[in-house]
Amino acid sequence: MEPDINEPPRERTALDKLLKDIALGSRQAFEKLYRDSSPQLFAICLRIVSQRAEAEDVLQEVFATVWRKAAQYDVERAGAMSWLAMIARNKAIDRIRSQPQARKSEPLDMAEDIADPSASPQLDAQASAERQRLEECLKRLDTRRRSLIRAAFFDGSTYEELAARIGSPLGTVKSWIRRGLMQLRECLEQ
Amino acid sequence: MSTPADGLDDLGGQEPPPDDLLAAEYVLGVLDAAPRLAAQARIVSDPAFARLVSDWEHRFALLALELRPAEVPSRVWTRVQERLGWSPAAPAADSGASRSLYFWRLAAGLAATAALALLAVVLVPRWSAPKQSEAQLARAVTTLQRDDGTPGWLATVDVRRGTVLMVPVPSTPDAKGRAAELWLIPPGQAPRSLGAVSITRAYTVEVPATLRPDLTGNAVLAITLEPAAGIPHAAPTGPIIAKGPIHL
Repeated sequence: MEPDINEPPRERTALDKLLKDIALGSRQAFEKLYRDSSPQLFAICLRIVSQRAEAEDVLQEVFATVWRKAAQYDVERAGAMSWLAMIARNKAIDRIRSQPQARKSEPLDMAEDIADPSASPQLDAQASAERQRLEECLKRLDTRRRSLIRAAFFDGSTYEELAARIGSPLGTVKSWIRRGLMQLRECLEQ
Repeated sequence: MSTPADGLDDLGGQEPPPDDLLAAEYVLGVLDAAPRLAAQARIVSDPAFARLVSDWEHRFALLALELRPAEVPSRVWTRVQERLGWSPAAPAADSGASRSLYFWRLAAGLAATAALALLAVVLVPRWSAPKQSEAQLARAVTTLQRDDGTPGWLATVDVRRGTVLMVPVPSTPDAKGRAAELWLIPPGQAPRSLGAVSITRAYTVEVPATLRPDLTGNAVLAITLEPAAGIPHAAPTGPIIAKGPIHL
């Protein structure tokens, strides 16, 4: 163990080490990362891209990207699981935006609150604390703003889709979400 | 830098929203195809905006882990390996295809290096050449990078003539038969189509007169995959496969 003068603020997790090895070209590390993280990332893809075959295709794209971009992963900037989750969300949203016919239209239950704190894979202490704070800040938003933000985040719905799903004018929905976002930022920065 | 609450009253109507809000909307995923693409182009060309996006990604990322993990069919792992050209237990025909894909990736990388070297050879001496015609002027090269960081196209923009020379690093055709469409994305504006581009041949694109004022160093060139019918399209629908800020 070499002494670390810079004292990294984030402790390296098993996934961090895997990503580091993947950046160096280790297929073995890649397979391990796939085994460990694909169910979580598939859940993200499947929720946004409801069609199973499409979601599987997006998941392949996600891992191809992980293989190529592993060297760009910055451990000081984000936890490994956050980084992977963001790649999955971006790819999944890109996919549904390229298919206008795949718009989500099922009505949105504004009281819905599906926080499931039990599902918390592979988080280091810092990430767990960050996640808890995010939940607390979300709880402080009024129900309407919170439900809309959560639906947008999990489903990848656009402003227009959300407006149609809850039967409110587009401008109103934008305003609710934007206020919610600013409120969220203020709370998280406290 | 907090906004007073009463300043938020018209947030629903404010277009375009302030940068930080736009970054948040991009990360949250509420933007339609065209503004989403414009935001992605801005991430490439504007480091300050990219930083705002990354801050929001950091704020939101852990929320995604609330979802209960889903079982992944084993075929996905096989296909990931095929996609990377590793071809594990695939039938012979498939492994040939994968090898050929790998070959093309390798070839693409080599071709890109060669193209850059060639451009350097062709262009650099002209900087010092005392006499040159307008057509021979050395021009900066814009690299349209693919997702994996490799160059997809090299572009040279001639503002005076209103042309863009697009040199592709040859790639395999889209499996779904979609065509590559070139977009000019001025800062903060919707993408404008410049028509189809080839994935194998160099080609000079004539920029319509109305779009020429937007052909500046602040704009981004991007390529998306689109249905071949109807090009130029009014707005992109497909994924960005390569993009880069214009160098003049």
